[in-house]
Amino acid sequence: MNTKRKTSDMLVATAQPATTTDGVSLQVSGLKLSLGGKNILRDISFSLREHGINILIGPSGAGKSTLLRCLNQLHADWQGEMLIMNHHARQWPGGTDALRHQMGLIAQKPAVFPCSIEKNVTFGLSSRERKHPPAGLIERVLRQAVLWDEVKDRLHESAAILSIGQQQRLCIARALALSPSMLLLDEPTASLDPRSKQLIEASLSQLAETMPLLCVTHDIEQAQRLGGQIIFMCDGRIIEIASADTFFTRPERLEAREFLRWSTCDCS
Amino acid sequence: MLNLWMRASVFITLVVVILMLGFLVSQSWPYWWQYGIGMLFAGEWYPYERLFGMAPAIIGSFWAAVVALIIAIPTGIAAAVMSTELMSGPWRGLLRGGMELLAGIPSVVYGLLGLWVLLPFLQSSLNLLTGHNLLAAGLLLSVMVLPTIMVMAQDALHEVHINQREAALSLGIDWNTRLWRVLLPQAWPGIRSGILLALGRALGETMAVMLVVGSMDRIPDPWYNLLAPAQTLTSRIGREIGEATFGSIHFAALMACGLLLAVATIAISLLAQEKRGQFTFFPGEAGSRKK
Amino acid sequence: MKLSPFFHVNNRIAKTVTVLLAIPALLLPAACLLYILFKGIPALHWDMLAGTASAVSFGAIGSLWPQVAGSLLLMLGACMIAAPVALGIALFHALCASARQQRMLLSLLHLLQGIPPIVYGLCGLIVLVHMLHWGICLLTGAIILAVIILPMLVLNTVHAIDRIPLERTEAARALGMRDGQIVRRVWLPAAWPSLLTGLLLGMARALSETAPILFTATVFSGINWPDSLFSPVTSLQTHIFYLAQEGANAQAVNIAWASAVILVALVTTFSISASALRKIRVGG
Repeated sequence: MNTKRKTSDMLVATAQPATTTDGVSLQVSGLKLSLGGKNILRDISFSLREHGINILIGPSGAGKSTLLRCLNQLHADWQGEMLIMNHHARQWPGGTDALRHQMGLIAQKPAVFPCSIEKNVTFGLSSRERKHPPAGLIERVLRQAVLWDEVKDRLHESAAILSIGQQQRLCIARALALSPSMLLLDEPTASLDPRSKQLIEASLSQLAETMPLLCVTHDIEQAQRLGGQIIFMCDGRIIEIASADTFFTRPERLEAREFLRWSTCDCS
Repeated sequence: MLNLWMRASVFITLVVVILMLGFLVSQSWPYWWQYGIGMLFAGEWYPYERLFGMAPAIIGSFWAAVVALIIAIPTGIAAAVMSTELMSGPWRGLLRGGMELLAGIPSVVYGLLGLWVLLPFLQSSLNLLTGHNLLAAGLLLSVMVLPTIMVMAQDALHEVHINQREAALSLGIDWNTRLWRVLLPQAWPGIRSGILLALGRALGETMAVMLVVGSMDRIPDPWYNLLAPAQTLTSRIGREIGEATFGSIHFAALMACGLLLAVATIAISLLAQEKRGQFTFFPGEAGSRKK
Repeated sequence: MKLSPFFHVNNRIAKTVTVLLAIPALLLPAACLLYILFKGIPALHWDMLAGTASAVSFGAIGSLWPQVAGSLLLMLGACMIAAPVALGIALFHALCASARQQRMLLSLLHLLQGIPPIVYGLCGLIVLVHMLHWGICLLTGAIILAVIILPMLVLNTVHAIDRIPLERTEAARALGMRDGQIVRRVWLPAAWPSLLTGLLLGMARALSETAPILFTATVFSGINWPDSLFSPVTSLQTHIFYLAQEGANAQAVNIAWASAVILVALVTTFSISASALRKIRVGG
């Protein structure tokens, strides 16, 4: 598996790009998905630049989480076109598992494995790398996830004793250990305390300088704080894509305006 | 009225349990008193010459259970993995139904199958004088305990939370790594209880074993010889209890066999409960064990 | 470098090995069932159940009716003894027991469930047959079988009561209902399918136990219908056991297969109706 991953990295660097779009990490066009006869995603098209934050917002049931799961290939039977690092997702060298290394997915509820903190960080690596992790890897990713200071003295203790907020950051570190080319986050701070929320947001802003993030959130204020590009989804479609400033001050579409009005009403 | 009924039920049950164990001990007492604990290791069991060594039956029970588990554990776990990880709804239901069918076949019918299908087959394929042997008992038992292991393992695998599966999946961990590093370790407590339950069942199974084991009180020679007629604790009780007169030393010796079985299976279920974190005869333990 | 052997096996190999290991589990159920039917159905005559043939001459065509009746009587007796006691214990567990008592009760039941049936048979032999001088009889067998299925019935009832939403019970209590009324008017209506499922599984279990009644309740032949509770019976299970060993008499072995078909049919009838009942949920 290790060798597979290495070759896939190499291929990403050397193989011929499918299209010539530079500076774009992910390009999705015409993505459709139906589950159990229901159309969850209808005709999704968007692209992510090679770094920066992208916020996916929209009412419940709009298909935001489903979209992330499609990108991570947890739903495999989507239709349409998905170019990741200029490669078709379906023909990814090394297969789906290798592709998932590139797309770190952080779930809403942290799912740590019942083993030590250190083992959790290296969980996704190949067995050789797990036995002898690259020097400094654990510290680097834990620092990136703003968790290092809290756990540096107890890396061998069980991850289950961490608080939910710490567990969520551990999940981010775990995904980062695979050196992904983008991070997909599904409401990473829902049901977390304000302090953890703040730490995670700090970590995300920092990460966005090196890779694209696609972050689902319900929290309008959080979206405003994080900034970047806003992708507004409703009923399985992308309604509006705009920069955060434009979207929150002068939304173009009626649905977006309605959504913002109701959301702010709910909050106050 | 309700209160009386509830308390009477509990009381009756407790009295029955205590009486049962009490009578097992008291009826086997003459044997222990007269022959001593050393008879557990003695090899001769000839009731007419008043020799009552337990070793052949203990070794027989041990071997039959070991053979059964060696076959049933990999098969049962593989079937459970297959049904939860590789099969879709209807097939899974079919496999589960098949297991329930196997579990539902009465042991005496297994005995019949063993006697008239397995024994002739073993006899001809291994070129033996008689098919009656420990291997046959073990094979038959493996079929009988397979559903226990499979169903417990399946339930345990089902209980591994979907979050854990998806977290592993989204990290790009491949199928067999997921199996060995996420699913099986997390399902292990349940699988282990299933194995222990199956062990208890294999030790206590009577009819099927009695029909195929041959009922010869000999220590296997050499010790790993599974292809000669032998005896287990249960088959000895089943074969001889009709001949022994109540109150005789022979009867007491058979009661001692029963007591051994009861002690062994109680120990196994205590172990199963303790490992599940449910060992609760000492209050406070269970609470502290949970994280 | 030492590598764990499993992690570098190709996924396809791992899956293939899993399937290969699981093959016996896939084939055995069908194989066993088909073989029993294959051997038993040709041997099965209508006369066997109609009771027209004599019960004694098992050599030619024996009637199996006394055996079926004996098995069913033992089963019914066991359930009639065990069910009220099991319900009582489960209600004690739900209503009266402290947390510690609950844990000890459940542990005890799991222990009892683990003890082999033949040990219960031995205890019954000492106490009921010899000490109380009941002899080999229907009542002895029924009591022993009752003790054997009791843990299973209690555990099932406890789980059934646990599944009733707590809010419902509390709402009933808030209306001022006493324990008895709650049991009758809230719990039993909500839990009866589960209770019946448990009872049916208990019946299937009581039908298939052989060893404990072999030397406490049954004789080989000569009984058509027990005169009283203190009369011995014949049963299908033990009938199979005796006939199976009549190696010299091919007809006897055939009858054993026929009895096996009837027994398996009875047992699966009970367990299939149990799993059909399991799907019923009362009151959403």
